[in-house]
This record gives sequence, structure tokens and C-alpha cells, in this order.
Amino acid sequence: MIQIENVTFTYNNSEEKGNLKNINLSINQGEVVLLCGESGCGKTTLTRLINGLIPWYYEGELTGSVKVADKEIREQPLHTLSQQIGSVFQNPRSQFFNVDTTSEIAFSCENQGLPETEIQRRIRQTVSLFHIGNLMDRNIFHLSGGEKQKIACASVSAGEPEIYVLDEPSSNLDVTAIDDLRDIISCWKAAGKTVIVAEHRLYYLMELADRIIHMRHGEICHEWTSEAFLKMSQAEVEKFGLRPASLKQICGIHRFGAHSSGSYKVRHLAFAYKGEKQSLNIPNLSLPHSAAAAVIGKNGAGKSTLLRCLCGLEKKCSSEVETDNKTYPLRKWAKKCYLVMQDVNHQLFTESVLDEVVLGTDSTDMEKAENILNQLDLLPFKERHPMSLSGGQKQRVAIAGAIFSGKDILLFDEPTSGLDFRHMEQVAGLMQQLKRQGKTLLIVTHDPEFILKTCDNIIHIDNGSLTEQYSLDRAGIAKLLDFFELR
Amino acid sequence: MTVIHPILALVPFVLLLFSRRVKAAVCYMIAYAAAYSMISFVMPATSGIISILIGATAGIIYRMMPSLITGYFVVNTTKVSEFNAAMEHMHVSTKITIPMSVMFRFFPTIKEESSAIKDAMHMRGISSLRNPMEMLEYRLVPLLMSVVKIGEELSISALTRGLSVDIKRTNICKIGFHFPDLVCFLLCIVCWICFVLHMGGIV
Repeated sequence: MIQIENVTFTYNNSEEKGNLKNINLSINQGEVVLLCGESGCGKTTLTRLINGLIPWYYEGELTGSVKVADKEIREQPLHTLSQQIGSVFQNPRSQFFNVDTTSEIAFSCENQGLPETEIQRRIRQTVSLFHIGNLMDRNIFHLSGGEKQKIACASVSAGEPEIYVLDEPSSNLDVTAIDDLRDIISCWKAAGKTVIVAEHRLYYLMELADRIIHMRHGEICHEWTSEAFLKMSQAEVEKFGLRPASLKQICGIHRFGAHSSGSYKVRHLAFAYKGEKQSLNIPNLSLPHSAAAAVIGKNGAGKSTLLRCLCGLEKKCSSEVETDNKTYPLRKWAKKCYLVMQDVNHQLFTESVLDEVVLGTDSTDMEKAENILNQLDLLPFKERHPMSLSGGQKQRVAIAGAIFSGKDILLFDEPTSGLDFRHMEQVAGLMQQLKRQGKTLLIVTHDPEFILKTCDNIIHIDNGSLTEQYSLDRAGIAKLLDFFELR
Repeated sequence: MTVIHPILALVPFVLLLFSRRVKAAVCYMIAYAAAYSMISFVMPATSGIISILIGATAGIIYRMMPSLITGYFVVNTTKVSEFNAAMEHMHVSTKITIPMSVMFRFFPTIKEESSAIKDAMHMRGISSLRNPMEMLEYRLVPLLMSVVKIGEELSISALTRGLSVDIKRTNICKIGFHFPDLVCFLLCIVCWICFVLHMGGIV
């Protein structure tokens, strides 16, 4: 189905990572192929070769041949290719052209110029295949990330391509949404379609993948069947810089932390969004000092709302916090909190990293700021524009700002979404470092590996109320794995 | 002339009511009525700087508001594919309609991004109005950055789903020119003719 022969590709923009060297790959019809490897290893570039974005959108020097169904990619325009090859991308927010869901699913059919009755038939078929009847005729801006990603898959699927190319489709999804994504891919597999997925998270694809291809520095360096891959131990998988693929590999991770004295006791936390009765109601919550607590729960359970309430972004939230035998109203306590957002691009404002760190404080203690940058390996970049840094570096700049502001409680919304193993490790290390400095951390995350690496406590929220709070001892780990359905 | 303006201003009000956006319609009508009465009753009774101030603020609302609200109505009640279908019926080139149809989805995107940035500024304690120019910069630079990024990802996604100016698209929207359209159309035409005649000094 797909033949890639002796392909070497260099992006014109020299700063762009992910150039390819000497790629030879042939993929048969009906195969599910998983591409893995560190960020910048070229797996995204390889997907772009197959869906025709190279050479039609991204410019660069391309040698060798890429054939799909025995036809050279570069000899067919993108809209012809799109009828055979469907693509789903990482960011659910930026993939839709319409504002309502039904037109979005019709979009690729309309572009193929299909007659109206045929489009209607395909919409009905896709809706029943993906069980998304409840999402029809809705405003896409009001859907969750997982629902948006489903619509993106449905839109591609309605075009009935033979090949599906997915570039890190699970990056912004929670556990249930990832399950749904797996079901969608297995539908495609059952229909005999060819599926190519570039991913960091491997576990959800293990039952589906026929081949797992590992890339490094723009070359294909290993290839496994999923059986062979699952036989590897945790240490071997980590050596390749990959995320674990199974429970057996995840379990060996946890490092038990020291127990802290004292805690912040949040009491009677209540908050309602406009027009809702009660969005969040938590009578009692305890955050141990200098420890990390993970907030888990399904999408829409109120995890992000809890963070927004605690750091004072939701003014109408009422609560009080007790610590060291003193009680503060939430409004006052919130001044000690700092939220590092999921999309750090929203959180960087100035023209240099150093300015960014001291922004918003009256202090001009540059020495202290440089010290903090040094701890976070950012000192060499202190004059750089924050927007010119990589994603992980931007996140560290945001954290540096939080440390400099002297706030004691740091809140994180999904700090590891879309990170590969090495970068996830790096963030986990950073969290440990923050704990040692006496910071109290509260982390909303969907990443079980990351929780096991960093957190001491679990706060499980469901439907706006606290289901359970437990510490991450042996029994706690079992509960956690149950929640992630990893047992 | 004093009759034509309010009649035209009523058009978006009625349209909003028919599409069940009562709150927006009522707010608009109150703002318009206030501006109208300011200009016709309060302004003649004042003089000097106060008169100019009232004239400027009320004048902006009085003149701009009806067209802004009509725009709001169009963006809020038209689906992107309906817009595309309508433009196609009018034989407008896809080179014009594709960029315009992207605008429909960009208004809510800008709103979303902008509110996230506002929160981040609050977090960093830079949302005070002490320094409005800096404030504007902090607000706009990250906004532009993320909107450009979303725009690029959107065009990639649209291209891989076969959007192109060289092809003939079909459309599943059932749209057409019906009786309510005729009423609106005739009303506006009549007002416009009166306006031209008035300018020519005939009426």
C-alpha cells in the first residue's frame, strides 16, 4: 500500500527538527503501524511524507520515492491525495473548519464533491459507527477535547480514505477519551484500512498495532511486533526513551516520598458556574505541606475548576483554609497560589526570559532571578525571547516565574500532556526539586506514569465532589491503577 | 430621513427576536433608544464641550450599533457551510469565500484564547490598569501568537481533508430565497431608494 524508498528529507527552515535520513519502509494494506521515538526523532515528518503535506505544504529537500497505491505522492495534488489518505492531528482545538458538528463531518465529503444524498448516508453511517448521535448539531466550541477529537476522526472517516495517518492523537485526551480513540482505530482496522499512528503513549495501541517502529535522529532503528515489545522489561523500554506499554512496565515506577508535617486544610469549598446549581462542592480537602497531590477524575468532573477556585480565578468561590492552627478566607490564601497553565503560550508576555521571571513583582533582585534560572537550566537562555524556546523550556520559564514570585503552593494543569518519556522524566525531576524546596504541589493530570513518579497523594474528584482522598502507598497504588483501568 | 434610520435599526432587532436571542435584542434596543433620545432631546439642550461629548458617544452607538448587531446576528445564526452554500449560489469565487468562512470560527477562537490570557495576566498580577499601553501589549502579543498557530494548524487540517480552490464543492445545506428574505430585501431597498432621493433633494 505504501512504499517509501531511500527517502532523505531536510526542512528548508534549518531550525526545524525531525529531518529524515535513509528511510525505507513498506506498509501493507490493513496494517496498523505505530511510530514511536523521542520528540524531534522524525516520526511526525514521516507521517507528513505519507499524507502529502511534504512536499505540498512543508518545503524542503526531498530525495527518494514515496508511493501510495503505486503512485508517486509528489505527482498528485493534495486534494486528490486527501481522498485516499485521511489525517488526524494532535490539537483538537485547531482541527475543525466549521462551527457545528454535522457540517464538520460532511466537510471532507463536500470537498470531494459527492452528491448530497451520499453525504447524508455517510454521515448517518459514521455517526452510528462511532456512537456519536449525542454530539450531532452541536457547537464544536462547547465540546470537550475528547469529543472534539472524535469529531475530527469522524470527519476524516466520512471521506472513506483507505489510509489513516494520526499524529499524536492522544496528547490532549483523558483516559476515557483514549479508550474511545482505541475503539475508533479498531473500527478502521476491522474495515481493512491501513492505519499509521505516531505516538508517545503506547499502552492503548498494544492490542491493535501489528508493527512498532522506533525512530531515532531521523532514522528507523528498531522494529518489533507488539508481542515482542510487551516482553521487554521496564528498564529496556526506558533505555529506548519510550513510555511504558503495559501495566507490568508501569508498576515498577513509584518512588515513595518522605512524609511531611502539617497541611493546608481546605474547608467548605463551594462554587457554581453561572446558570448551574453547584459545579463544585468539597467539604474537606487536605494538602500536606511540601508534597505533591494529583487531582484525577473524568473529563468535566471539575478538576480544572478546583484549580481555578484555589488560585482565586473564580471570584465567586467561597471557602476557608486552615493551616498551622490559623484560618484564612480563601481569597487571602489564594494569594499564595500560582497556576501554571496547560498551554504555557498564554502565560508568557515579555521579550526576554529574565524579564519574564521578574514580571509582576516589585522585586528587581536579578541575582535571585538568575539563580532560579540556573536551577532550571535556563541561564544560557536568559536574553532569549520566551516564544523562541521549545515547549519544555517555555514551561520551565513559567515555573521559574512562579518560584520567583515566592508563592508556596503551585498548581499545575496537565504539565505532561504530549510529552515524550525523556521530557516527562525531566518535568517529574523538576517537581521533586520543587518539593524539596518546600513547595506544595497540586497537579491535575491524566498521566498514571507521571503520578507514580511524582505524587504522594491522590485527590479523586467526580461530578464536582470529592470521591476519595488517599495517599499513594501500596493500597493507594492499586486504587490508582484501578482508576486508570490498568488492571 | 429621521424615519428611515430607526426603521433600518429595527431590522436586526426583529431578526434577533425571530432567532430567539431575546436578551441581545432587548439590550440592543435599549442602547439604541438611549442613544437616539440623547441625540434628539438632550444634546439640543446642552452646549459646548458637554454637547460634543454626548454627540460623540451617542453618535457612535447610534450610527455603528445597528450594523455591528447585524454582523453579530449573521455570525451567530449562520453555519459556516450555509454561508459557503449561499456564496456559491451567488457565484462568488472560493478565493473570497474560504477566507471569509474561516472568520466565522475565528471570533469564538479569539474569545477563548483571550479569556485564557486574561486569567494568566491575573495570575501574574499584571492586570492592573496602571499602565494601559503595556497592558495592551501583554494582552495582544500572546493572543496573536496563538491565533497564528491555530490558523496554521487549521489550514493543514483543511488541506488534508481536500479543501482546495480548484475543485467544485457540494453542500448539504438546504438554503434558498424565501418570503422573509424577500420582506427584508424589499424593506432595505425601499429605505435605500428613499435615502438616495433624499440626498438628491427630491424628497
